[in-house]
Amino acid sequence: MSPPILTLGGPSPSSPSTPPKATPHLLPCRVHHNGSIEPIQPFWQPEKQPDGTSTSYFRGRKLHGTPLPLPSGYRGVVAAAILPPSKDAAEVQEGVIDLEDPNCGKPAQGRLDVQAEFDEVVMWGHEVAVTTDGGPAGDGGYVRGMEEWVALAGEIHSYPNPDGSGK
Amino acid sequence: MARTRSTKGPTAKEKADAKAEKAKTAATSSSSTYTLAPETENPPLFFILPKAATPEARIVTLQNPRYAKPSRYLVCPEAGFFEFNKISPPKNVPRSWLLESNVRIEGDANEGDARLESQIFDSPDLFIATPIDPLFLVLTALAATKSSGDTKASQKRMFLASDDHLDTLSELSGGHLSEVLTWPASRALLEARIAAVSDSVEAGDEQMYRLSETKLLDEIVAKARRMSDKGLPRSLEEKFVTKELEAPILGIRSQPAPAKAPVKEDSDSPQPEAVDSQSTVSSVATPSSSLSEASTAATSVSGDTAGNETVENAMTAPEEVLRLQRLRTAFNFICASYVAPGLANTLKRMLPTTETVDFKPLDEYMAKLAKLRQEAAAVRTGDYSRKRGCEEEADERAEKRRKQEAEDKIKKANQSRGVKSLAKVSTAGMKKMSDFFKKK
Repeated sequence: MSPPILTLGGPSPSSPSTPPKATPHLLPCRVHHNGSIEPIQPFWQPEKQPDGTSTSYFRGRKLHGTPLPLPSGYRGVVAAAILPPSKDAAEVQEGVIDLEDPNCGKPAQGRLDVQAEFDEVVMWGHEVAVTTDGGPAGDGGYVRGMEEWVALAGEIHSYPNPDGSGK
Repeated sequence: MARTRSTKGPTAKEKADAKAEKAKTAATSSSSTYTLAPETENPPLFFILPKAATPEARIVTLQNPRYAKPSRYLVCPEAGFFEFNKISPPKNVPRSWLLESNVRIEGDANEGDARLESQIFDSPDLFIATPIDPLFLVLTALAATKSSGDTKASQKRMFLASDDHLDTLSELSGGHLSEVLTWPASRALLEARIAAVSDSVEAGDEQMYRLSETKLLDEIVAKARRMSDKGLPRSLEEKFVTKELEAPILGIRSQPAPAKAPVKEDSDSPQPEAVDSQSTVSSVATPSSSLSEASTAATSVSGDTAGNETVENAMTAPEEVLRLQRLRTAFNFICASYVAPGLANTLKRMLPTTETVDFKPLDEYMAKLAKLRQEAAAVRTGDYSRKRGCEEEADERAEKRRKQEAEDKIKKANQSRGVKSLAKVSTAGMKKMSDFFKKK
């Protein structure tokens, strides 16, 4: 089954028209759980430092957070794929792509349910702040992906618009 | 939790009672303070999407131009095509997302549904949608007509209407391309990109297109130039520009040696192969009459080497060569990321023939560099042979040691139990056996 076409956001009874703002924190640890962890206040109280970074204690360990703003012209979205009901949901949300597609007719239409929006990501390092150039733990991928690659992709993939105006 | 506490109870009966009681209280108390909500069935993913994308944008599956596998793309009738790049840390780096709601709960608890709960997500993946030139997407179809013919297909490739090309494309890539093609703006964009890299003829009132590799090459070179003009990302720059163009260190040192020869001719002393400046100083100093001259010769030699080294360094990085190498790196990068392997090879073969860029300075430099490297390698292999001599000696020593050890082992095996156990004890204060046989 080929994954369905997904629309972005779109009206739905469950999601409000403007998604709430949130801050994604990239923790320096793996938590094997998906889902709500309310109430969060007793366990997660990041404190802003004068230099823009923040510190927090997570289970007694000191973490340093470095905010990483999104590249300009981009917005962050936390979204789950809502699939058309008849389809097998588990396969698609993982990004697994299956080629054996029996229905070549009208492709299924799914929806990307936007649950939250964000403007920056906070990268947390254990005891040390995550440096933007790689860092000790292979965090460079996020920085490189968000800054370098976005700029580079813009250069590589620019093309003149069909109506003549350069992009 | 309840069980661990209850085990502290003193008697069995009390224990049982306490267990039951505590289990009850623990259950109630934990639900009243913190309970972990059940896992969400469909954990959301983190996306970074272009703001330019309109609500009409769709996420579709199209064929990846490089790997010919279906991948996800974001297609917007207005903003164009975007590809998804997945960022995930290496497996050995533990990372997870914690999504903190910016709206504090105490304030608006009554709002209920609109409030977002703070959540945690196991998978640290982040998807960034970056623009992709639809040219690469249509390339599959344009080049595909070639593979149906034989290898010398440049002539065999037919002029086809853009519609036919797009039909081929949607046939080839499956996915949702046929759907995308029903959107007029996206279709027009794809057609325009076909036209940009094709020779065209007019047949009746219709334009017919055929892939022109030279045009494609020019297009990609232009992209590479844009990419390299802004400076390559550091990782690329380091690996493919600085390292590629770096002269071997031995090459720098070996360079001054031939330059020294004319200096020595002045001093008229026949020299064996002088490798370093120290030997020249000593040998020049032997004719006692020209001691001062020797010193000047020495200084001049050292000055010369320094000068030569700077020359060598300058040769390492002429701006022109650097620029060309950057351009070539960018070109290779684009080919390796977005062009099917067969076509990419063709393009790489064609690259030297392009008129827009002259790679001659770079090629010359590379040839020189290759020669330098070869020389350096030759010198180094000499070193290796010397080293191997050392290694042989070491081998011999190791062999001896091994024999010794084997002997020791046999000796130990024959020792009595008493001696063995005594070996572990400090015998410093003990009398030796020989003491008993001494004369008193």
